[in-house]
Amino acid sequence: MFFAGLPFAQLLAIFGAVGFGVLVLYILKLRRRVVAVPFSPLWERILRDKEATSLFSKLKRLLSLLLQLALLALLVLALGDPRRTESLIKGRTVVVLVDASASMQATDVSPSRLAQAKDAVKNLIRNLGGSDRMLIAQMDAMVTPLGPMTDDASVLGGQLDNVHPTDARADFPRALRFASDVLRGVESGEIVVVSDGQLGEASDASGPVHVGNAKLTYMKVGQRDRNVGITQFSVRRYPLDKSRYEVMLELTDTGAAPEDVEIQLLGDGTLVDVTKLRLQPGVPLQRFYPQLSGANRRLEAKIALVDGTADDLPADDRAYALLPERHRAKVLVVTPGNTYLEAALLLDEYLDVTDVLPAAYPEALKTATWDAVIFDGATPPEMPKANVLYLDPRGPGAPVKVTDALKQPGFDKIDRKHPVVRYLGLDDVNVALGHKLVPETGDKVLGASDGGASPLLVAGTRGGYRFVAMGFDVRDSDLPLRTAWPLFVIDCINWFTDEDAQYLSAFRTGEVWRIPVAGGITAVTVKLPDGTVQSVPVHEGRAVLLGEQAGFYELTAGEQRTEFAANLLDVSESAIAPRDALPVVDGRTVAGQPVHGLREAPIGLPNKAWMGLLFAVALLTALEWATYHRRLTV
Amino acid sequence: MGLLDVLPWRREKKAVSTKDDDLFDDEFQRKLEYLALVSRRVFAGRLRAERRTKKSGSGVEFADHRDYQPGDDFRYLDWNVYQRFEKLLVRLYEEEEDLAIYFILDTSASMAFGDGQKLRYAKKVCAALAYVGLANLDRVTIVTTSDRVMERMPETRGKARIFKAFRFLREVQAEGTTDLGDAMKTFVAQNKRRGLAVLVSDLYDPRGFEKGINVLRYNKFDPFVVHVTDPAEGKPRLNGDVLVYDCETGEEREVTVTAKVLSRFNEAYASYHADIDRFCATHQVPYVTARVDVPFDELILRVFRRGGFLR
Repeated sequence: MFFAGLPFAQLLAIFGAVGFGVLVLYILKLRRRVVAVPFSPLWERILRDKEATSLFSKLKRLLSLLLQLALLALLVLALGDPRRTESLIKGRTVVVLVDASASMQATDVSPSRLAQAKDAVKNLIRNLGGSDRMLIAQMDAMVTPLGPMTDDASVLGGQLDNVHPTDARADFPRALRFASDVLRGVESGEIVVVSDGQLGEASDASGPVHVGNAKLTYMKVGQRDRNVGITQFSVRRYPLDKSRYEVMLELTDTGAAPEDVEIQLLGDGTLVDVTKLRLQPGVPLQRFYPQLSGANRRLEAKIALVDGTADDLPADDRAYALLPERHRAKVLVVTPGNTYLEAALLLDEYLDVTDVLPAAYPEALKTATWDAVIFDGATPPEMPKANVLYLDPRGPGAPVKVTDALKQPGFDKIDRKHPVVRYLGLDDVNVALGHKLVPETGDKVLGASDGGASPLLVAGTRGGYRFVAMGFDVRDSDLPLRTAWPLFVIDCINWFTDEDAQYLSAFRTGEVWRIPVAGGITAVTVKLPDGTVQSVPVHEGRAVLLGEQAGFYELTAGEQRTEFAANLLDVSESAIAPRDALPVVDGRTVAGQPVHGLREAPIGLPNKAWMGLLFAVALLTALEWATYHRRLTV
Repeated sequence: MGLLDVLPWRREKKAVSTKDDDLFDDEFQRKLEYLALVSRRVFAGRLRAERRTKKSGSGVEFADHRDYQPGDDFRYLDWNVYQRFEKLLVRLYEEEEDLAIYFILDTSASMAFGDGQKLRYAKKVCAALAYVGLANLDRVTIVTTSDRVMERMPETRGKARIFKAFRFLREVQAEGTTDLGDAMKTFVAQNKRRGLAVLVSDLYDPRGFEKGINVLRYNKFDPFVVHVTDPAEGKPRLNGDVLVYDCETGEEREVTVTAKVLSRFNEAYASYHADIDRFCATHQVPYVTARVDVPFDELILRVFRRGGFLR
């Protein structure tokens, strides 16, 4: 026995002090209320009988004193919070990782795997020992501890209510690292993973996760694996005909039997296409929908089993995409005359091109708001408040410093990730004469000569507007004779206007999204698919958000309103067959346990002696109350 | 007296002043007139026969007939009536009697217990009966007692002297302990003329209420007991641990008052009253209970009906 509350010496001191007080009160006798009566002999008559029982009265008085001292002793002991020594030794520190990934929304167990997981954790909480402490964390794309480490069952139960399912995959290595950090230095640590086991490997970029001496327990939830899911969904507009688009869809049957499914494609809620397919287990099946047209912006794909039943995971039966609004870009071309440039701009019918001579540029700039300005061999003293493509810039007005002349430079190094030069064949372009561009901090070199030492093509941002500078006159090269030239011009304009014609995909849930917003805005709000609105910080011109719900989002930044879609599209989450064992951790294979009966302990009040002592106090008080009112002790 | 008795909250034996100027107001006096009238009618009727031995025939003015009883003087038989109805009736005459009525008012501290209601009530009863006596030209004397004879209003006659009685009663205050035995001994020693002794008291005498009444009886007075009671005293509002003390003697007892104890007290209170009633009935002493919650004029009428107050 030891005292977890006040130390024994202190308890003795309290008992001594208060007990002495009680004793003094009993010795001194409490002053009775003094009441006058008109004729005391009447009272004498009735009190005469009581005289005979004075000995019993004294005995009752002694009993009353003993009862008060017993009550005091119980209360003082409760202050000490006495516990068994064995419970101190065996006290566990438990970190419970509750899987809230998309696969936990499966309904193969009623009402869902996540609900069953919560029940399992509740059972764990009930069975906590007197010295056990627990921390509950939600495991999805990130790890969220739901409260501090505590032994208070009611607090833990309340935390459990905050576990909500997400449309993201679980980051098991991160969760394990978190649990390992929490249990560092704890002797009897235990990690309990409540999951269906679809967790991937227990290693990340930093290598395998180690959990040390902590005991690892896996509580397996889930039974079946019947599921068909959309594992890919992409939409793109055709680059040269943005009124048309095509859709690519991939379906996977992660169950064990072939399934007949019906795919519905909806545009702004209207049915666009219905297809029936037969899927073989484990074999992804792609479908293309080419040459689709219409003014639709919101695209949604839905699948359903043909036999009318539902598969076990509804979360991957829908996918969403948003086509960017078609926009006729206004382009101002400042050039003394360049047939190649004019020809390239003719290729995109959604461009509204205005050609002016360099001398007329200042006047033309005032007449309208331009989405893009192209300076061909002419460089104004300062960059206009628009996105600009500089062809052979010169002088102090250039966005980057133009230095040495380069004879016969080439594109030795190309940044193929940048949307302006992605998929362009610039490697063998021949240039007669160019100039080396010196990028500033934050600018990106898209193409460079001399093994990267002499930048020829630079992109960047000045005053919140984008620019691309090309360090040579296209007419001094064979670039205009190549397919890359018109694509380069159009890619530049698309980059300026954020119309990436190549690939229109939705965001993936469980990842950190960076959504571009207008310059100068530091905070935006995002309306989630479930209707909740949350504030999102802006970092380097992009709103940074971890998305965990599939569906359409709406971002509001000042007057700017942007919509985007997010999808699960994760074949590992669609594969909902519960695993019998956790991924190998520290060379250990941990088999799953049924969700009930993890630890045999009686369900009821926690094993806390101070509660029992208080209960005894209440019982004794009730006993005294009852005897008092039955006039047994008065 | 214990150490704690000196503490200020302990208790105080208060002499409740019941000097009420409005005690005998106009309304009260009107009621007295009414009671005086009623008393004449009542006495003129049926009550006279009850005290026949003292009334038999010395007057000159015919008053009434009554049935002949063995032992009656034949000279008072009305032979005319006998001839007509063949019934033996005795002729009665108004007697010019000079009756002495003594009102013995208990003014011990217990009479002023609580808000002094009992003493006020006793004063009213005393005044009312005195008025009736005065109106009948009886000699009325009022004395106050506790453990001795305290004050005395000298013998007086005539209705007009009622104001003297009022003044006397107004000045009366309650104090001291009760010892009716000793007080009555003093009383009989001071009053040689025998007559009706109306004892108005709560009869809270620790030495026994019988003593005082017996002293009157043994000395040929006609005692008439008006027992003033306050029903609230029979149902004290007490609870828990209390220290009760006697408002007269200061004697104290520790009591834990429970429902059971209260019930036993009620029984004791009722038993005490029953003892008084029984004693008076046994010794043929007229006895009337005067509850303070009963209007005093109603009580006076009951006294008349009960008989024994006037001949």
